[in-house]
Amino acid sequence: MKKKRRITPSHWTLLGLSLIVVMVLAAVLFKGAGGEKIKSDVAPPPAESPPEPVLPRTTKTVNLFFLSEDDSLLHPEPREILAGPSIGEEARQVVQELIRGSSKGYVSPFPAETKLRQLFITKDGVAYVDLSREIMEKQPSGSSAELATVYSIVNTLAYNFKPIKKVFILVEGSEKETLGGHLNLSEPFVPLFSLNAR
Amino acid sequence: MIGLNETTAKHLACFCLLFLSLISLASAQPTLRVSAQDHDGYSRVIVTFPSALPFSLEKDGTLLLVRVSSSSSFRLKAEPVKSRFIKSFSWAKSNDLYIIIIEARHERFRPDSFEIEKKRQLVIDFYELAELPPGGTDKAETPQAPAEPEKKEEPPPAAGEAMPRVEESAAAARGIRTIVIDPGHGGLEVGARGKFGTLEKDITLAISLRLKTLIEKNLAFNVELTRDRDMDVSLENRAAIANNHRAELFISIHANSSYRRNANGSETFFLSLNATDEEARRLAYLENNSTDLDKPLAPENEDDIVMILWDLAQAAYLKQSQRLAEIIQDELNSLLNTRDRGIKQAPFKVLTGVACPAVLVESAFISNPEEERELVREDFQENVAQAIYRGLVRYIKLLS
Repeated sequence: MKKKRRITPSHWTLLGLSLIVVMVLAAVLFKGAGGEKIKSDVAPPPAESPPEPVLPRTTKTVNLFFLSEDDSLLHPEPREILAGPSIGEEARQVVQELIRGSSKGYVSPFPAETKLRQLFITKDGVAYVDLSREIMEKQPSGSSAELATVYSIVNTLAYNFKPIKKVFILVEGSEKETLGGHLNLSEPFVPLFSLNAR
Repeated sequence: MIGLNETTAKHLACFCLLFLSLISLASAQPTLRVSAQDHDGYSRVIVTFPSALPFSLEKDGTLLLVRVSSSSSFRLKAEPVKSRFIKSFSWAKSNDLYIIIIEARHERFRPDSFEIEKKRQLVIDFYELAELPPGGTDKAETPQAPAEPEKKEEPPPAAGEAMPRVEESAAAARGIRTIVIDPGHGGLEVGARGKFGTLEKDITLAISLRLKTLIEKNLAFNVELTRDRDMDVSLENRAAIANNHRAELFISIHANSSYRRNANGSETFFLSLNATDEEARRLAYLENNSTDLDKPLAPENEDDIVMILWDLAQAAYLKQSQRLAEIIQDELNSLLNTRDRGIKQAPFKVLTGVACPAVLVESAFISNPEEERELVREDFQENVAQAIYRGLVRYIKLLS
């Protein structure tokens, strides 16, 4: 009788192991539920945005990079956005804030009419930013203007979100050659932090 | 006697150890070597493998490709090519496959190969074939039975005479050297627009035409324009025009525009690559080995790499393009009264496919009313052309 009730060390190991398994499973499930669904189609229909759960959300400070009249570098401007629930959602707010422009007198390298149509992030760290046609039609069409527009988005996203390694810019849901005859849009951009002011 | 023997034995052992360690040191960096040598009636290429590796040969026009499969990496080293028939060595790598590209002066040759297993060598003898009558397809001309490898004295009949003729025509062909000038924008794509209505496409064409005149008057270069009037030309076609003319230099001319009202000055761009780690490794590999090939990439070798990586053609010329940009920017600074914005790197679509040193010059800001007034002046346009021309002269001198 005594023998049966006794808990041997091997029992403890078994218990410990199963505990670990349960914890890992829980972590994986939790992450799976919380993480963003990854879409790889290039042009998802714009109306497809799922209903957001109404939760109390905290804010978070990000840095937006704008032009300045003083030099041709991109200057950071802190901005409050709502935190979470996913990087995709935060990145969407960041690009919308970029297009909204500076509140500190910096120059916004976007035509005011530009809209963010869609933004999604693939699991290999490429953010697809789909902008409305005004980004091409109403821009000044110069190398400097294009550099500012592209790297304002690319550097801002890569600076604030570590998982974003590259940014692919789409216009009206499809891939374009350039915005105005200069920078190559048919490949994702890697950030050029040398354009950021120190 | 015994003691003496012992010390000699010790010395011997030490020596052996040293020798072994030297050998292991040498073999720590496995290297595949390629060399070429001319013999009477044929040119011999010797490929020395680091270990026994499977390979296959394929003739493709003027090229002979040696495909080598290897799961372990090794260095590739080519001796300088000093052959009348072998033009160059280059290579490409993807995963476990290495491709050694041997380029011959023309495509009429018969490769005759054999292996020396002891030395892990592949010997390929290139026999030139007589010129075919026009209209004949010479691509199917390879399958002759390989002659006995050791036979050295049996040149194909016409080879002796064909050689100088070929060299002459190649030299003559190379005598026509081309610079391609690309006037930015054009047609419906007007480019930037100034406050007073100046269109970028008109300024870039005016400067380009002036530059063309300067070069043709003073240099032994042929100039091709990607457009000589107001018309649409796609960005890919601009690069293709340069490559089809086997351009040695490519200059794209633009006028700048910014969201900043005050933006001003002149700058010169060369290409930057949005390279992933994988791409960067491939490029680094190409770059490292092109220095092994020929210190500065000789102009006649410049189209080797393009055959493999057309979409990244410019990647092989980044260093030269940077140098060209530096020199042109220097001349712009001394001839124009504009602010020096320096040289910069950016992923310009028009430059990516160009298979020669290539830069994009932003002469001044059309979006800045003061500079717009300058840009429409003939003397300013002439100065921009003059500055670029001087830069080209300096760059060409640097190479010769």
